[in-house]
Amino acid sequence: MNEPAPISITINGRPVQARTGQTVYEAAAATGIHIPALCYHPRLKPEGACRICLVEIDKQRSLQPSCTFPVVEGMVVRTDTPAVIASRKASLQMIFSERTHYCMFCPASGTGETTDCELQQLGYEHGLDCWTYAPNYKKQWPVDASREFFGMDHGRCILCRRCIRACEDIAANHTLGLNQRGARTMISADDGVLFGESSCVSCGTCLQVCPTGALHDRQSVYLGHESQIKRTAATCVGCAVGCGIHAITRDNHLLRVEGDWDAPNGGLLCSVGRFEVVEPKPARILQPLVRRDGRLVETSWDDALALIGTRFSEAHLVAGVASPRLTSESLAAFECFFHDVLESSEIALLSGEVPPLDLGMMVSLRDVANADCIAVIGGNPLQNQKVLGHLVRRALDNGARLIIVNDETTGIDDWAELQLELEDISFHAASPFERLKTTYHLRVSGVLELEKAIISAQRPVLLYGSGLSSSVYAALRSLPAQARFLPLVKGANAVGAARLGIEPRPVRGDALYVLLGDDLSNGQPLPQSEFTVVHAAVRSVWTDAADVVLPSPTWAEQRGHVINLEGRRLPVVPLLQAPASVPYHRQTFVKLAERMGQTLSPEALVHLAGPE
Amino acid sequence: MPNKPTVASDWLAGCAGCHMSLLDIDERIVTLLEQVSLHATPITDLKHPPESGVDVGILEGCVNNSAGEHVARQMRARCKVLVALGDCAVFGGVPTLRNGVSCREALRRAYIETESTAEGHIPNDPELAVMQDARALDQVVPVDVYLPGCPPSADTIFFVLTELAAGRTPALTGKNLDWH
Repeated sequence: MNEPAPISITINGRPVQARTGQTVYEAAAATGIHIPALCYHPRLKPEGACRICLVEIDKQRSLQPSCTFPVVEGMVVRTDTPAVIASRKASLQMIFSERTHYCMFCPASGTGETTDCELQQLGYEHGLDCWTYAPNYKKQWPVDASREFFGMDHGRCILCRRCIRACEDIAANHTLGLNQRGARTMISADDGVLFGESSCVSCGTCLQVCPTGALHDRQSVYLGHESQIKRTAATCVGCAVGCGIHAITRDNHLLRVEGDWDAPNGGLLCSVGRFEVVEPKPARILQPLVRRDGRLVETSWDDALALIGTRFSEAHLVAGVASPRLTSESLAAFECFFHDVLESSEIALLSGEVPPLDLGMMVSLRDVANADCIAVIGGNPLQNQKVLGHLVRRALDNGARLIIVNDETTGIDDWAELQLELEDISFHAASPFERLKTTYHLRVSGVLELEKAIISAQRPVLLYGSGLSSSVYAALRSLPAQARFLPLVKGANAVGAARLGIEPRPVRGDALYVLLGDDLSNGQPLPQSEFTVVHAAVRSVWTDAADVVLPSPTWAEQRGHVINLEGRRLPVVPLLQAPASVPYHRQTFVKLAERMGQTLSPEALVHLAGPE
Repeated sequence: MPNKPTVASDWLAGCAGCHMSLLDIDERIVTLLEQVSLHATPITDLKHPPESGVDVGILEGCVNNSAGEHVARQMRARCKVLVALGDCAVFGGVPTLRNGVSCREALRRAYIETESTAEGHIPNDPELAVMQDARALDQVVPVDVYLPGCPPSADTIFFVLTELAAGRTPALTGKNLDWH
């Protein structure tokens, strides 16, 4: 396709090259001319709601919103004339007069250098030292605190509708909308119910785009302005999607998590990755504990490791269980310690599911939102890989066809054009009777229907779960070559663990080492053994039942990599510094090996975890 | 110096914090007094602006009763340039929180319903001021210079007063403009 010829326009007397389809705002921004705006957000479709970005365009009878006005050849634009600035100030004055924008009550408020509020910033920039129109302090604006993790103060809302667009276009959840008209307009959820009682899934995308303090994170509110915090790009280890995150920290505390706009998740996160990871953890373990006279008492690392060394040397067979939320580096050290030092292959993953990864050509997360046909075969991305679920729903919004082949309900079943059961796509080649049924069309062959849908699509994506019968996988392998697959892996680093040969299965031994990190047992029973070591960050029923407890770094303190469901190797960076008494897992295994008279070579560990 | 501009100040429904911030200009008050002549203020002996008038009048706090309204009108009548000092005078401030309920409800709550009150009654002595909704100063009298902040910093107050002393209208920008 030929590149369309550039469009020549003039902005503030400067010749500017723009592209077809660009708006005046985008063309100006691309050349470094900043036009103030409130409802505009680079990741959302423009709406033209706030009237702050109005500019003068020759041959237009009035000022025009630059965020929605497309460029045309020869256009002459002025962004800084007295008329433009007067109009902008008038709009600001009206926004300030409408609700309770009395800043001192608001967490986003700050000085010109520290404010997190885009409205207050514009007020400062335009020298507003008073309000032309006094606000109506008589009117009480509701505060909706019905959601667990973030609140909405309607008094601070400027009706820019960024939240609505984020909910629609990014999260594809369609919870938010507008109620009433004119001065009575309110952001509302569903049919005007409280947010906490609505179809909101607390993904928090709206929170991330709100320009004022209207939507506010309840955990980090008042704990630091943007100018006082540190932002670190990292990877979420909540599930196998491996979303890119920005961790917001201050003084070695995690304040909140935001979605990385440039990662494949495109700013999206789920309530687990955005909010639940920040929740204060129950009692942290800071010192090794050993069981003496039936009670767990604090001891030194030396004593704890000596005891473990002795008991493991005496043991007949030591078994190991590790969390799938650990880095490949931690898992490699774990594997290496069992293989080389304990000479045991009784190791397993605590939880997690990895379906076969060799069904055909694999796709990336970015391809899911652009797919024109999506098939979900076993598994439930809306439940277990939530951000992937949002991407699927976004593809459906864009007109993608949906095929569901499942024995469980998924929440998008109503959108399915074709709905089959797993049984319908099973090959029963082994049974002559089944073969006869298929041959004589006694059973409608689901595989044929699936095939038809895939052949007629340009960009088909098949999401498939684990634990399906081998005949289902065989059916998927037999699909035409244009089928593209993405496995619905469970467990943040279950793929990384599988590459190290660590998979979920029952293990047995007379001694047991559980590498838990900050994972919890989630109700699973602790495998039986005579001597149990639990290496964990926080107290749980498992640590309470252990003979020795070793302190572990949390997810935010570990360093290394995880491998997500696309097979991408994602960096896990320490966001917080672990307490001095809590070493990395690898260091613990190296020391434990030394105790047992052996060495774990660091080179071997790096090799096991894969190349940089 | 006989031609020094004269200044008077007073406070309405505020917390006196803005006047404390005025005192925070510390030794610069000597510089200021070389440039202006200070008349009545709540923190000096003289309490009311002279009938002969002053050049600059400064009011802290919002107007929330008939006494405040009288003080505001008197100051307006007796000064050439009126400065609204602080968030309460400029925007209405903290006292506006009670505007959500009527004056009658607020009085009943304060004097009768509070848990610590036994046999309370709403004071009705005719000499007492009559309660009103809390309003920013410019809702009552015209204001010439707005100096927002809670409180405005000593530097900003010093900047505004020296600008006025020099016969200029101060324009608040950058660090001097801060409402929070």
